[in-house]
Amino acid sequence: MPLLRAGAVTKLFGRLVAVDRVDLVIDAGEIVGLIGPNGAGKTTLVNLITGIEPPTSGTLVFDGTTLAGLRPAAIARLGIARTFQIAQPFRNMTVRQNVAVPALFRANPAAGVGQALGEAGAILDTVGLGPKREFSARALTTPDLRRLELAKALALRPRLLLLDEVMAGLTPAEVDAEIAMLRRVNAQGITLLVIEHVLRAVMGLSHRVVVLHHGRKIADGPPARVVEDPGVIAAYLGNRRPAGRSG
Amino acid sequence: MTPRTFGLGALAAAALAVAVAFPVFAGGYYVRLATGIFMFGALASAWNLIGGYTGYPDFGGAAFLGIGAYTTGILMLRAHLPFAAALLAGGALAVLAAVGMGTLLLRLRGHYFAIATLGFMLVLRQVAANLPITGGGSGMNLPIASAFTPFYYWMLGTVVLGALGGAIFPRSRAGYAIAAIRENQDAAQVLGIEPLPYKILAYASNALLFGAVGGIYAYWFTFIDPPTVFNIDFSIQAVVMTLLGGPGTALGPVAGAIILKILDTILTNISLFLHNVFFGALVCLLIIFAPRGLAEVLRRRGGIVRAIRAELEDSRV
Repeated sequence: MPLLRAGAVTKLFGRLVAVDRVDLVIDAGEIVGLIGPNGAGKTTLVNLITGIEPPTSGTLVFDGTTLAGLRPAAIARLGIARTFQIAQPFRNMTVRQNVAVPALFRANPAAGVGQALGEAGAILDTVGLGPKREFSARALTTPDLRRLELAKALALRPRLLLLDEVMAGLTPAEVDAEIAMLRRVNAQGITLLVIEHVLRAVMGLSHRVVVLHHGRKIADGPPARVVEDPGVIAAYLGNRRPAGRSG
Repeated sequence: MTPRTFGLGALAAAALAVAVAFPVFAGGYYVRLATGIFMFGALASAWNLIGGYTGYPDFGGAAFLGIGAYTTGILMLRAHLPFAAALLAGGALAVLAAVGMGTLLLRLRGHYFAIATLGFMLVLRQVAANLPITGGGSGMNLPIASAFTPFYYWMLGTVVLGALGGAIFPRSRAGYAIAAIRENQDAAQVLGIEPLPYKILAYASNALLFGAVGGIYAYWFTFIDPPTVFNIDFSIQAVVMTLLGGPGTALGPVAGAIILKILDTILTNISLFLHNVFFGALVCLLIIFAPRGLAEVLRRRGGIVRAIRAELEDSRV
């Protein structure tokens, strides 16, 4: 049962083809890795799915609803959450207030601010930010900001969660902890699309890996098969960067 | 309720009780001075909703003040409505204008928004100067009130409304939307917030207070003309008072209005020249040394507030 179906999705920036006729099906419950060299169109694809930018052509259907013409807030309320590659905290609010925001504005919102703050506290405990709940978001370190991004996305109670390079810049031990956390998130029934440069993470975590190159999908399949695909090796692994490096 | 908010609430209630009783024991001059302080406290509280909490630097608040003033004046003079009814209509029209203009202008950001709101205000000034119903450039004389103490209470009402708004807003669902939009509109949108309606809500609340103040001001002064009410000075003073007290705080703008109006009165009595220099110098000093207002300075140093609280707690034992 496909949760998200992209049909020949294309995005042009002037004459640059950022996303080129990409077909993509994500089934409910899956963890799909989305990889590709810098400039492959990964983040643009996420922007199209979340309504930040409209596709030039093609179709995007989420659980039977066409996403064309919907604004980002409406798409979020349908149950699609995302994290940003560069964390986008509400800097002058506390960590807990940050997470209370989506709890107040999702499709079935918390009854009031008090309830939203309570729920935010519980979510912060699960991502390991519980002790810092009353910190100003300004005061968080980069790994903590990543956790905050995830906590905000979870407070939206999404069915599909798009994670844009959540593991970039993390140490190997932190990557392992992150993988374990994302597995727990998936076990709650949340479908994941994981955009990542850290190959070890994607290969270990994903049920299926999709490879973009110059905006085109060049491979789509189980991780073990994708890494042996000659086209993928040439396009991506041939000039791979050291694991853990952000892009 | 934390001890701090309880303490502030108790303090505000006590101040309100004193304010209500004030005209009984104070002379006419001081009642007039206090009425002016409340007027600007309300304007600063209003500006704080859009400029402080929402982060949209509005410089056209006088547009709504003028709408409130002229609507009240016209309805009292030409339709012979009682003041309260005319004032209500003035506030309502200001809100309607804010919803209309906000829908257009609140898509702009930063200084584009500031300039556009200023332009809107200047357009209305020209319209008022050329319409027959407003009396054009020669202005409009309102009926003269039988007593002046009621204006004190009307203005007190607006400042209380403004302070209550400032206190309730950040604790409400809409306040969370507004804060998220101010901090990062793109992030707010992907978390389910449609920004425009919430920005319009803040802008219209600001307009309601500016409009109400305008209506009361018109009847209080009995004469209005376009340059007096469509006057950017109202916005500038509201901005400076809010910056002084602390933008995005409940009572900061009111505190800023009290401090500034009293200082301003003293300086005017000493020297008209000093009084003119004062505002400009204060703006510069504020931006350099306390861009987030006295509330932040007090919070950072902790000294005065903590000392007062310790004193209060000691005296309770």
